[in-house]
Amino acid sequence: MELLSLLFFLGLGYIVGTIAEKRHYRSIETRERQYLSLPAVTIKNIDHQGAKIESVALVQGSAVISVDYFKRMLAGLRNIFGGRVKSYETLLDRARREATLRMKKQALFSDIVLNMRVETSAIGKSANRKKSIGSIEALVYGTAITYRK
Amino acid sequence: MAVLKPLFTGLPLPIENSLKYTPKESKTNVNVSQFSPLKDFFALLSGVLGILVALYLILGLCVDYIVPLLSAKAELVLASPFQEIYTDTEDNASSKKLQELLQGLVDAMPEKRLPYQVSLVNRELFNAMALPGGQIVVYSGLMDEIKSDHELAFVLAHELGHFVNRDHLKGLGRGLLLYTFLRLFIGPDNFATDFIGQSLVGVQMQFSQQQETAADLFALNLLHKRDGEVTGAISFMKKIAKREEGARFLNYFATHPHAEHRISTLKKEIENKGY
Repeated sequence: MELLSLLFFLGLGYIVGTIAEKRHYRSIETRERQYLSLPAVTIKNIDHQGAKIESVALVQGSAVISVDYFKRMLAGLRNIFGGRVKSYETLLDRARREATLRMKKQALFSDIVLNMRVETSAIGKSANRKKSIGSIEALVYGTAITYRK
Repeated sequence: MAVLKPLFTGLPLPIENSLKYTPKESKTNVNVSQFSPLKDFFALLSGVLGILVALYLILGLCVDYIVPLLSAKAELVLASPFQEIYTDTEDNASSKKLQELLQGLVDAMPEKRLPYQVSLVNRELFNAMALPGGQIVVYSGLMDEIKSDHELAFVLAHELGHFVNRDHLKGLGRGLLLYTFLRLFIGPDNFATDFIGQSLVGVQMQFSQQQETAADLFALNLLHKRDGEVTGAISFMKKIAKREEGARFLNYFATHPHAEHRISTLKKEIENKGY
């Protein structure tokens, strides 16, 4: 019985997880192109070249992405032999890029986002347990500068 | 467009070297590996399963090696849990007949390692088996169909053959091994584990075809030694062959060789020995 439910969730996780991931990546790529002209950089201080600053604001975006059953199993198997846990790579990549996009959306009317930082944490029921990862959160924040026109 | 220019002039860069921001779309993603998750999954899974199967086979060989070294005393200690499995044994003329037949066969055996006993269990199964400690179980389903003493003697001698070859202990050892593996790696509250646990007696009875053939030949020789004739062997096998006809597809997973194959092996032995 348990083997059947295991196979069911594995299949469900793989099929739905793959479809959801593809859709998310398409959406991420479209929005990244859209927001390409807004620089978000890690540098702290820049020469504003005499421009008057209209406003300064903290902008932040965060995204929580959950692992699917299949990815968890794959990572679990990988944990036995060691090596790159490739199945979690897309998870982190999606969370970071989605969070960056959300931050940029908040800063859309600014000219530049300075001192951008990324933080990652595991959240969910199993976050603090050693064995499994529930979901991960990426938090991206920075300082949005708007010049006086 | 803002020009990114570090204010900190201690940098080795000349201040004029400002960093012009040019929006550029990245075509590749360095943070995500291109790989086939399914392929990876099956490769890793087969690695784990392969190691487990190899471990099981190695431990199985260890069981085969250890079992002949067990003394009769140790076997009787191991066998004590099996004494109480069958409470619905029958005590009547048929069971007395079986006991007498067995005694006659045991007397003809060169080595009497265990206190051999036979019990008749009231169950509609056409089967008999060898339990640890020298206990032979004959189901009433078989007893009802086999009337001839010669044929019953062949059945009992076949089970004695399993005792002599220690097949019952090998089966038990492997059954326990399988149960332990399932419990450890799949978990205790699981369909497969429960099933194997409940049918451990059944699992231990699953001897290989090779073991069955060896037991057949032992029975044939024992019958000849006692009676000087082996008519029961072939006539019993023919009855099995008739039963098999109805359920041929089941033989795909069968542990026993085909009855026809067993008959031809027995006939060959009869010819060789001149019985």
